[in-house]
Amino acid sequence: MRHTLAIARREIESYFVSPIAYAVMTVFTFVSGLFFSNMLVHYVRQAALADSQTQKFGRSDYQLDVPTVVLAQFFQNEAFLLMLAVPLLTMGLVTDERRKGTIELLMTSPVRGIEIVGGKFLGAIAFLAVMLLPLVPMFAFMGAGGSWEAGVITSGLLGLLLLGGAQIALGLFVSSLCENMLVSAIGTYGLVVTLQFIDTTGAVDGSIWTKLLGSLSFYARHLNSTRGVVAAADIVYFASWIALGLFLAQRSVDALRYKRS
Amino acid sequence: MVSLSHLTKKYGALTAVDDLCVDVREGEVLGLLGPNGAGKTTTLRMVTGFLPPSMGRVRIAGYDLFDHPVQAKQKVGYLPEQPPLYPEMTVRRYLGFVAALKDVPAARTKAAVSLAIERARIEDVADRRIATLSKGFRQRVGLAQAIVHEPPVLILDEPTSSLDPKQRYEVRELITALKGRHTVILSTHILPEVSDVADRVVIINRGRMMAVDSPANLAWRLRARASVKLEIGARAGDLVLPAEAVREALTAMPGVLEVRADIGAAGTITARVESPAGVDLRAEAAALVTGRGWQLLALSGESLSLEEIFLALTRSEDQGGA
Repeated sequence: MRHTLAIARREIESYFVSPIAYAVMTVFTFVSGLFFSNMLVHYVRQAALADSQTQKFGRSDYQLDVPTVVLAQFFQNEAFLLMLAVPLLTMGLVTDERRKGTIELLMTSPVRGIEIVGGKFLGAIAFLAVMLLPLVPMFAFMGAGGSWEAGVITSGLLGLLLLGGAQIALGLFVSSLCENMLVSAIGTYGLVVTLQFIDTTGAVDGSIWTKLLGSLSFYARHLNSTRGVVAAADIVYFASWIALGLFLAQRSVDALRYKRS
Repeated sequence: MVSLSHLTKKYGALTAVDDLCVDVREGEVLGLLGPNGAGKTTTLRMVTGFLPPSMGRVRIAGYDLFDHPVQAKQKVGYLPEQPPLYPEMTVRRYLGFVAALKDVPAARTKAAVSLAIERARIEDVADRRIATLSKGFRQRVGLAQAIVHEPPVLILDEPTSSLDPKQRYEVRELITALKGRHTVILSTHILPEVSDVADRVVIINRGRMMAVDSPANLAWRLRARASVKLEIGARAGDLVLPAEAVREALTAMPGVLEVRADIGAAGTITARVESPAGVDLRAEAAALVTGRGWQLLALSGESLSLEEIFLALTRSEDQGGA
């Protein structure tokens, strides 16, 4: 455990001096803010429209609970942003150690492969958590003008961490296969984008395939959390991806020593 | 302390290291000498557990590296050819990280890091980021990480290659200072390095062990010769001194085995007089040259270096293989 924490701590420290990580965090925060304010303005206008309809005609086509709708939409968009951001955060996890030769230090130390992989995963997910922090003032801003919807916010953030964790674990595995950071990023994009949208491929009817792919999709599984629902099945689903990613990464790191050079 | 038995590494049809057997005694400094591509790095990587051998065993301080990798690795400090540094970290933080990896108890980490910094003589740069350090300092930080957990066994892969002569001298000094505290295996293709610090030398070429012995014994076993190099002015007024005359005169001295004399640059003759090891002909040669009235420009004595031994060994191997 001490090895894992030491590796995690080093990983976090290196994120905070990495221009890539700062660029990702900055753009992520900026675009998140853009999405959030646009949605807030849009739905507040819709709600005002609905109010005036109700006043004039006694009824309205819209029944809007602005905070809930904004949060649901917002968290779905954030899932999309994570898909773009995470591969950039994971591309160097093992690849960079191989490039710098520090993998030789890790593998000749009395440290097991799972400790290396676990430490890197913890470090990356901790950085992701830090990256999500600037969202809180946005929620507070909305909370100040209406209701807080603490439940939706909590489940939404948890959902993002679970989704991000699955993406990180897969990215970590891809990184352990690659000697080149760009290849590592592209490979991870291929994997997480496919898993994000896999349910849209054969969605013609209610066949077994549609159901199967639907239950595999990151997007479909993530939806609940954007609506304030914390479902055990979803947690198990994302935890399984994390476990699979870490398992493959550990096997891959252990196998690195069999590669030439 | 470290025992390699029948250590072999094959990459497909290529055998990088072939049936290496050596026992390194406690406190001994073993030099691994060979040209680039001889299998030195591969050997050291197998000893540190970075590469699994195709065949053979490694035992470190009584622990088999395959059966008890954690215990065996705790006993080893390793400086790879490229020091495994994180450029964004400060030296002190980096060493703390390595100490945690190497199972130095948390309570002792700070003291262990300070001691390693002191022993590697990097106090002045201890709080600087590694990215800002010169190559020589990086190499010393690499050395500090190898000794931070005070391992009984120290493995250094080409510790002075790619350094300038001053840095090379300083790092060699450090290694000499580590002698006695650790059992050391170091590889190099720079010969004076092993003859300076090593108690025994293993010469490897193409993955095969050519010889194991002390530097002095290796020289003796090859019936090493001593030699004197002379530089003589060839022009005396209008006359030009023929190289053949110099050769004849020097060959006539007692105790000479062989003389070579050639026309050198800018009107000089260079001559090389070889004699059995231990026979010093410098004074006689000087007296002879000046006695003839020739101009003696330079004179130096040398005994057969490891370089020549090494060349002799690898050359005979190449001929045998052809």
